[in-house]
Amino acid sequence: MKTPYTLIVITLIAALAYPPQWYPKPLRIQLTQWFGAGSYRSLPESMPMQPIEHEIFCPADPSGWRNAQSIDGVTIAESLACVADNPFLVAAAVKGTNNISHATLMASGLTGDAIEKANDLDGDGDPDEIHIRLEVAELNGATPLSLDPVTQYDIAPGIQPGLWVFAPKFVGMAVENFESQRARPALRLPSPAIRVEQGDRVFITLENSHYMPHTLHLHGADHAFIDANGEGNDGVPITSESPVMPGFARTYELTPRHAGTMFYHCHVQPHVHVMMGLQGLFIIEENRPNNWLQTLNIGAGLVRVPSRGVVETYDAEYDLHYQDLDQQLSERIRIDNDPRIITKSMHRDYDITDARPDYFTLNGRSFPYTFRESIVVGSDNDLIKLRVVNGGMKTIALHTHGHKFTVTHRDGTKVGANSETPRDVVTLATSQRLDLSVNLKNDGLHAYGPGIWPFHDHEYQGVTNDGIGPGGNISAIVYTDFLDPDGWPRTQGVAWDNYFTEQYYRKEIPVWNLYAPDLFGQPAMDGWILLRLLVLLVCLGTIIGILAGKVLKWREPNE
Amino acid sequence: MNLSRCLACLLMTLTAQAWAADKQPAADHHSHHGMQLDADGAVMNANSKQLPHGCDRISAEQDFTVHVGQKHAQDPGMAFGMSMQEIHVKPCSRVTITLVNDDAIRHQWMVHGLPKYLYPAGMFHLEASGGTERTGTFIVPPEPRNYLVHCDIAQHMEKGMRAQLVVGAGSGDLWAVNGVSDPFVRSSYFPQTPWLWFISVIILLVCAFVARRLTIR
Repeated sequence: MKTPYTLIVITLIAALAYPPQWYPKPLRIQLTQWFGAGSYRSLPESMPMQPIEHEIFCPADPSGWRNAQSIDGVTIAESLACVADNPFLVAAAVKGTNNISHATLMASGLTGDAIEKANDLDGDGDPDEIHIRLEVAELNGATPLSLDPVTQYDIAPGIQPGLWVFAPKFVGMAVENFESQRARPALRLPSPAIRVEQGDRVFITLENSHYMPHTLHLHGADHAFIDANGEGNDGVPITSESPVMPGFARTYELTPRHAGTMFYHCHVQPHVHVMMGLQGLFIIEENRPNNWLQTLNIGAGLVRVPSRGVVETYDAEYDLHYQDLDQQLSERIRIDNDPRIITKSMHRDYDITDARPDYFTLNGRSFPYTFRESIVVGSDNDLIKLRVVNGGMKTIALHTHGHKFTVTHRDGTKVGANSETPRDVVTLATSQRLDLSVNLKNDGLHAYGPGIWPFHDHEYQGVTNDGIGPGGNISAIVYTDFLDPDGWPRTQGVAWDNYFTEQYYRKEIPVWNLYAPDLFGQPAMDGWILLRLLVLLVCLGTIIGILAGKVLKWREPNE
Repeated sequence: MNLSRCLACLLMTLTAQAWAADKQPAADHHSHHGMQLDADGAVMNANSKQLPHGCDRISAEQDFTVHVGQKHAQDPGMAFGMSMQEIHVKPCSRVTITLVNDDAIRHQWMVHGLPKYLYPAGMFHLEASGGTERTGTFIVPPEPRNYLVHCDIAQHMEKGMRAQLVVGAGSGDLWAVNGVSDPFVRSSYFPQTPWLWFISVIILLVCAFVARRLTIR
């Protein structure tokens, strides 16, 4: 007999606990007419800000890699950005690993046969037979020993997508040292930009050091469909030759007759393999006397030994390689170690027609790391050449602040003079290349004067790291007046402490925490509403329990 | 006992790795001590004379030829392998390894954890370009221990080229030595069928029903 009373009391408590802001609107209006507005309760405090431990913005350069220097007779230009390429590697790429001193070869990290140069075929003072050997390296891949990835490479703080890259032939370990799981500095995204001269006899040996089949396709570069031996030379498994299996090698040949900015990539299941990072710039420079080219530009960026043809017109040359990465693809090599399971996951479970890219890199890094190594540095009146490729699945709307550039070449061929109108946004379709001329002349059209002028993809996904901004491929044209001696731009505006933390890109730090923690911080919990919800849940649970007991009793009359 | 020792070893390795990863990348660009490099490969930290502490003489001469390459992969899910995934040697013996590379790509035979006063970074390292071979000698310390041997080209150890050098009685198997010990993180090899959950639930219900019938009597 007590049960109905109990039920009534519990229901009453539940009704009182029910938060008034959830009452139906007519009831709330009626209550307001009777009792007036609810009394004031102060809003919860903003959560106190956790101290931020950020990475060093600009790591030191103890070996003086940024300095202008001469190594084995190769004059290497200064690299003013914070992180510079290993100049010994640059020297080896210019002279060839067969023509440099043993000390330089050791300091370059390359094997003796990584880049071989010989035979001045046209007698103009530079070697015309070039043999490049490339391996395939996996970054942030799986291991049977741990759930953490191995040969780690960060595109931005704490962001380690699984990647495949063509890599020069380095001697020794893939990691920094035995105690480290970090990839050695030159083993990185993007695959190196390759430079050869118009008319060179070029041999590129793909030594497939990876556990998947791969090929090399020379996109846009003049090459024969079959080589001298009748073997396929186009790199396309369905039309020219079978892929290079793990442990095997194949040499591709070309003698390019036409100069221009081209592209190279793996052509095995390209919708997966190219998107994993097996792609690089392939640049054919015009033939000039004494034209010793920097055959590899590791990590793209500033060309520290530009060609004779380029220095005739330009003060500096940069390779800009844009890519995008789909987290749902790149994580697949991190999850399992068995190539059979990885293969099924990448080629049967993954569907690129449902894909949306998450990370956007410029020269293998996303903001804020782009500012360490991929800024374009110049001074008043400089004329700078940019060779740009979009290797991603998404179109890029490349935009420069403070400058209107001209497009001089598209896909490696010169555009008509009439087409060279100054622009500040240009689209690059997937795999498209543009040569841009940026004039730093402060005339109000080409440039607006010194500063730190961002350049970036103006499609907005491209300026985020998985949706968190600022990120993606943001970089800047930085005038030397705005550059610190260590290569870090003297930015104004907000502090960058947040951006150099993993927590910011893990979405754990409120966006404007640093400069308005009270207005935009994380509000503390409202304990009052939580208590009401708890009481409500206890009451409802009790009511359900009592009613269920009644029903069961009624269904088993024997007891 | 063996298992727990392995686990302790692994944990120590991982801790060391985490500790090293925390440090800023040391500017270790030019550390190639005792390295002989030519166009076809390299030998690093060879030592055929100096005795490790605790050895008063060379106890034995032990020569091994190790073939490496894709055709030496041990299991179907492995891409590369070594013909000897486990090498037993006597304490204080002089070990000569000939690395024969049967592939057309670079491979390595690298041993870690040797005394650093004799072998910089604790390493002895052979490296051979495709189709070449390379021979090198080193002397092992007296303590019984299992040393990691691997190829440190990206993913080569992970996909099969992980071996162990056992000095004397050894100190317990390392994990994930193909053909010797299990991976620490093993693929599940679950049946790849969408019916898996459905079948599991059916089995569960049938068992419950049978158990209930049995207990009712």
